[in-house]
Amino acid sequence: MNLILLYLLLLKATATSFSGLTSMPVVYHDFVETRHVLTDRQLNAAVTAGRTAPGPNGLYVVSVGYFIAGVPGACAGCLAVITPAFLIIPMLRYLGARAAQPAVRSAIRCVMLAASGLVVSATVPLARDALTSPLAVGIAVASFLFLVFTKKDTVWVVLGSAAAGLAGKLL
Amino acid sequence: MPQASLKRLTWIFLRVGNLTFGGGDPTMAALQSELVLKRRWLDVEQYALIYGLARITPGTNLVAFSAAAAWQILGWPAAVLAVLAMTVPPSAVVVMLTSGYQSWNSNPLAMAAIGGSIAAASGMMATSAWQLLAPEIRPGRWLRAGVIFVASLVASLVYSMSPIAVLGLAALVGFLWQAAE
Repeated sequence: MNLILLYLLLLKATATSFSGLTSMPVVYHDFVETRHVLTDRQLNAAVTAGRTAPGPNGLYVVSVGYFIAGVPGACAGCLAVITPAFLIIPMLRYLGARAAQPAVRSAIRCVMLAASGLVVSATVPLARDALTSPLAVGIAVASFLFLVFTKKDTVWVVLGSAAAGLAGKLL
Repeated sequence: MPQASLKRLTWIFLRVGNLTFGGGDPTMAALQSELVLKRRWLDVEQYALIYGLARITPGTNLVAFSAAAAWQILGWPAAVLAVLAMTVPPSAVVVMLTSGYQSWNSNPLAMAAIGGSIAAASGMMATSAWQLLAPEIRPGRWLRAGVIFVASLVASLVYSMSPIAVLGLAALVGFLWQAAE
């Protein structure tokens, strides 16, 4: 895939989202469903890599770029994460006061709510690919409960689930 | 307390951004401690405004937060350096992890461990959705939250509506249907 097109598609995903994984529905739509240059399993692996590393959660986009076009693709992904961030500076200069207006706050909240529905929608096909055994389903449910109720770091989930997968193979 | 300099500021973003796991909120909390409480390079009102704007800036909240906080302290060069410090080293880690996934593809034990981690990704994504939804499930807001959540899920999953159209419609609904603060 052409690197500029890859960058623009990843930028479309990051620039139309409002937090780390909420760009995933667009990534899924463009790369898995429409262009078939990424598999469900690779997208799952990208999310895991992004959540395992330190730094922003949205860096899974770097892994997506790497799967599609190697190191240059990863650079395109990193650039797509960086680019929209600078929009905040003109916003800080000119729009700071308006961010508190009730209609604007209400619209933003509704976008976040819709994003949560979209994330669930994107999770369904990925879960269908990944959750193919009772152990995998158990790991997914345990990960969800662990993260929601303990507020512990994601890295423990990744390490624990890897250990559970390994134990399932050895036992 | 030391004066702000490009070197000192970049070092803070490099250190906090690359040693704090768990994504945006823990990292922004660590930066609040460094920039507001310890060094007073930002005051509480500036921090609150930047935190709020980062939430509504397209893209990753934490990267936008870093750009704005550094810009507020030392201008554009600091914003660029802070964003690079916050994203480039973790991106290298992401590439190494992804490369490891590809290299270990033929090892059954490695694949069993990776399979466990990939199963956990579904749980992580569900957690991400829950964290967006949960703050809106409260008196005066739960009905709107439920309607928008279900409508966006159905529009995407059943009718394959594009995510951008779903988000645009949600913003419009938000303008027209304002719930209690």
